[in-house]
Amino acid sequence: MAQAGVKGSELPIRGPADSGQGASTERSEPLPIRWGVLSLPAVLGLLFAFGLPIALLTANSLFRHAGPGRVAPTVTLDNYVAFLTDPFFLRILLDTFVLGFMVVSICAILGYPVAYFLARTRSRCRGMMIFLVVAPLLVSAVIRNLGWVPLLGTNGFVNWLLLLLGLVDRPVALVNNFVGVVIGTSHAVMPFMILMLMTVIQRINPEIEEAAVNLGASQWQNFWQIVFPLSIPGLLGGYLIVFTITISSFTTPAMLGGNRVLIMSTFISQQVRFVLNYAFGATCAVILMAVAIALTVVAVRQSERRG
Amino acid sequence: MLTILNRAVIALVFAFLLLPLIFVVVSSFGASPMLAFPPTSFTFDWYRNIPAAFLSGLKVSLIVALWTALIAAIVGTCAALALSRGRFRGIRVVGVFCLAPLMVPSLVLAVALYQFTGVLWDWTGLELGGTVMGVVLGHTAVAIPYVVRAVMAGHAHFDRTLEEAALNLGANWRQTLIYVTLPVLVPGIMSGAVFAFLVSFDDLPIALFMGGDASSTTMPVKIYTSIEYSLKPDIMAISALVIYGSLALMVLLERTLGLEKFFGSGRA
Repeated sequence: MAQAGVKGSELPIRGPADSGQGASTERSEPLPIRWGVLSLPAVLGLLFAFGLPIALLTANSLFRHAGPGRVAPTVTLDNYVAFLTDPFFLRILLDTFVLGFMVVSICAILGYPVAYFLARTRSRCRGMMIFLVVAPLLVSAVIRNLGWVPLLGTNGFVNWLLLLLGLVDRPVALVNNFVGVVIGTSHAVMPFMILMLMTVIQRINPEIEEAAVNLGASQWQNFWQIVFPLSIPGLLGGYLIVFTITISSFTTPAMLGGNRVLIMSTFISQQVRFVLNYAFGATCAVILMAVAIALTVVAVRQSERRG
Repeated sequence: MLTILNRAVIALVFAFLLLPLIFVVVSSFGASPMLAFPPTSFTFDWYRNIPAAFLSGLKVSLIVALWTALIAAIVGTCAALALSRGRFRGIRVVGVFCLAPLMVPSLVLAVALYQFTGVLWDWTGLELGGTVMGVVLGHTAVAIPYVVRAVMAGHAHFDRTLEEAALNLGANWRQTLIYVTLPVLVPGIMSGAVFAFLVSFDDLPIALFMGGDASSTTMPVKIYTSIEYSLKPDIMAISALVIYGSLALMVLLERTLGLEKFFGSGRA
């Protein structure tokens, strides 16, 4: 969901060959329908609403800025050179990766116990708990972020709690800065991380764990020497997907960063909406897109090699 | 010791996941417009005075999401059938293309559509930017892959002997398609359509770049642009209403498709 906003809430992508092809195409086709023709509406529609716009964006990224909202169609790599040689822009790219890394780490550490519990429990509450994990995904990203404002503000619940517990002397700034973006984005991708970890852990044969415990392994050893090593191949692909969702997200960084946190997505939006530098905005957009696609391809390869 | 730590982390994560939603609801009843905690007194006033602009945004969002779900469900189901059943040259390329929008950050697509509709207007006078149609177009591009994936996942377990049986029993191919093939695919189509609806209803960037005046401003855009100036509980009231609606939808999904299965089908 969108990650949603992260909204773009994107999930792993598989090619068509993975679902249903292999076994069934061998069989004879019972219905006299030219199925291929049915792909035309989608192909033409996506060409218009996706292919051409992305092609134009790529073209704009190679053109020169010619006044607010204008580009001059002379092909040049200047925009890319400008981005890749200026420490200010490279810093934005680095901050984007730092955000992705922090969010993946937080979600992986906090999400693992939950995922393990949900994968192994036979409790009747399991369905209800999975319901609660995915519930935030079904509520609009903008609204979820709105909830963080009264929680993280100077007079908010978290500061009230921190003061009450004596952990801080005066309210700390938790929103309209990088901290707020990390918290909000972690919240947005946590359900994906838990669902993904849960699937990976479910694939591990519980009898292996039982054997380890019977042979005298402690819970701690069971985790570090059995469960965790066995889940690593599945985890890598999932982490990459969550990382990609994070660095692609716009809604949460824009709302909880208070126009002050510059990562790729918020910077692109600023370039196009306010600076009106369409050419450079397009260049940054193409760079972000290239990184996202490259990471997704690696993640899909990773999960295919496993399965 | 480990078990206690484990339980504490689990409880913490659930609190973390649900607190923002709870706080939208709590704040929507708070009497002070400053949204301080702990709230001093409670009121229903914000619900009685939801500004018309938010209600109109909610209406636009619902209209856009319904159109997106409808168009994506039809186009996506056709594509999924072509990819599952067809044998034609370039099927792999078509398959990757139909899922490609998932790989592109929606902000990037938003900027691309914004620049594209600008050029389109310059060259042909076709006005898509700033219209409801423009927003629906962008959302449909993002939503189609979800439908394709959900329907293909449903089709993967399809038993073709059902079709052969229907044909042997004297049905013609049209009857077989309508009375045998499509009904089997309905759960996949339904979860694809619900995904499409949610993707559209959730989206900020595309609606932000494609929307124009009030008639094409969706609720997320309205909320986003208004909190840049001030955050008042009236925003919380409309958001709380959406949460109540989402809760109802979730219960409905849980009862009909099963939430775990629903998310599973979208990911397959």
